[in-house]
Amino acid sequence: MPYFTTSAEWLEQSSLLLKARPTTTKITSKYSFLAPSSTKIAKQRARLAAKAPTISSSSTHDPASLKATLTLKTYDPESGTCLKYQTDKAAEVGRLVGSLGKLGRHMAALPEDLSASVEQGSGTNTPAVESGVSREGKGGLVEVKGVPAVGAGGGAKKKKKKGKK
Amino acid sequence: MAREHLSNDEFFTNLSGLLEANRKKGHGSVFLTQKRLNFSLDFSTPVLTKVADDPLWDTHPENPLPLIVRASNSKSTKRDGSDRKAEAKVKFSTVVQPDAIDRFFARYAEVCKAGMSAMKKRDRTKKKKDKRKKVKAGV
Repeated sequence: MPYFTTSAEWLEQSSLLLKARPTTTKITSKYSFLAPSSTKIAKQRARLAAKAPTISSSSTHDPASLKATLTLKTYDPESGTCLKYQTDKAAEVGRLVGSLGKLGRHMAALPEDLSASVEQGSGTNTPAVESGVSREGKGGLVEVKGVPAVGAGGGAKKKKKKGKK
Repeated sequence: MAREHLSNDEFFTNLSGLLEANRKKGHGSVFLTQKRLNFSLDFSTPVLTKVADDPLWDTHPENPLPLIVRASNSKSTKRDGSDRKAEAKVKFSTVVQPDAIDRFFARYAEVCKAGMSAMKKRDRTKKKKDKRKKVKAGV
C-alpha cells in the first residue's frame, strides 16, 4: 500500500476507516531512528558516483547520516485496509499526535471534537443520519448516532480508491 | 498473558525513558499502537459481540469504550560481523478511559515531540529571510 502524500489525506481516510470498523482497526506509529546499513550506504554512494562522476561523493547529501522518521499506519485486519503516512519533519510530530487523538475519539466512540472540525462534521453528518434512518427501518437498529452510516459510506469510498490504485 | 497495564502517568514516564534510551543509543525504533479495548479488564469477555444481521454491530456502542495504547522497542540480537548489540524487548501498555482521552493525547504529543528529537528541524535559514521581508513590507 502506498503512502499518502499529505497527512490531512491520511487523517481523512483513516477516520473514515475507523468509523466503518472501529473495533478491529488499529493505528501503529513507528518512530524509527536508524543508521542505514553499510550495504545501503555503498549502494547510494555508487549511485551518486554514477550520476555525477565529476563531483566528489562527499557533496551536500551524506548517505551515511542518520535518518529519523515517523510512520503512521492505520490497519484493519478484517478488510485488509492499510493506510500509511510517513514524515521526517519534527514540526509535524505534534500535529500528527493530535490527529491520533482525534482518531482515538472515533475508536472510543466519542462524538467528534466540535471545536476541531466544525465544517467537516456538518458536511459528512447530514447524509449519514438520513441513510442511518433508512437502515433503521430495514435492519431494526435501536439507536443511530450518525456515526455508523458515515462509516458505511466511508467504506465504499475507500474501496473505490483502492481499485483505482 | 496477564500483563499489568500501567497507569497513564507511568506510561508516559516509561515512554520518555524508552525514547531517551533510543536517542542515547543513536539508533533504533519505537513502536506505538492504539486500539479500541473491546474487552473487560480481565480479558474474559468482549464488550461488543458481532451480531449476524447487523453489519454495523460495532459502530454504535451504548457507552464509549476505553483505548489501549501500547509501546515497545524493537528487539535486537547480536550478530557477528556487525557492531550491533543484543537488546531485550521492552513493552508496556496503558488503558485510556474515554473521559481522559483529550488529556492523554495532549501529554502524548508533548512526550513524543520531546522524544523524537532526531527528526529534521524546520529550515531556519529560509524562515529568517521571510521574516525580514515581512518586517520590511510592514514598515
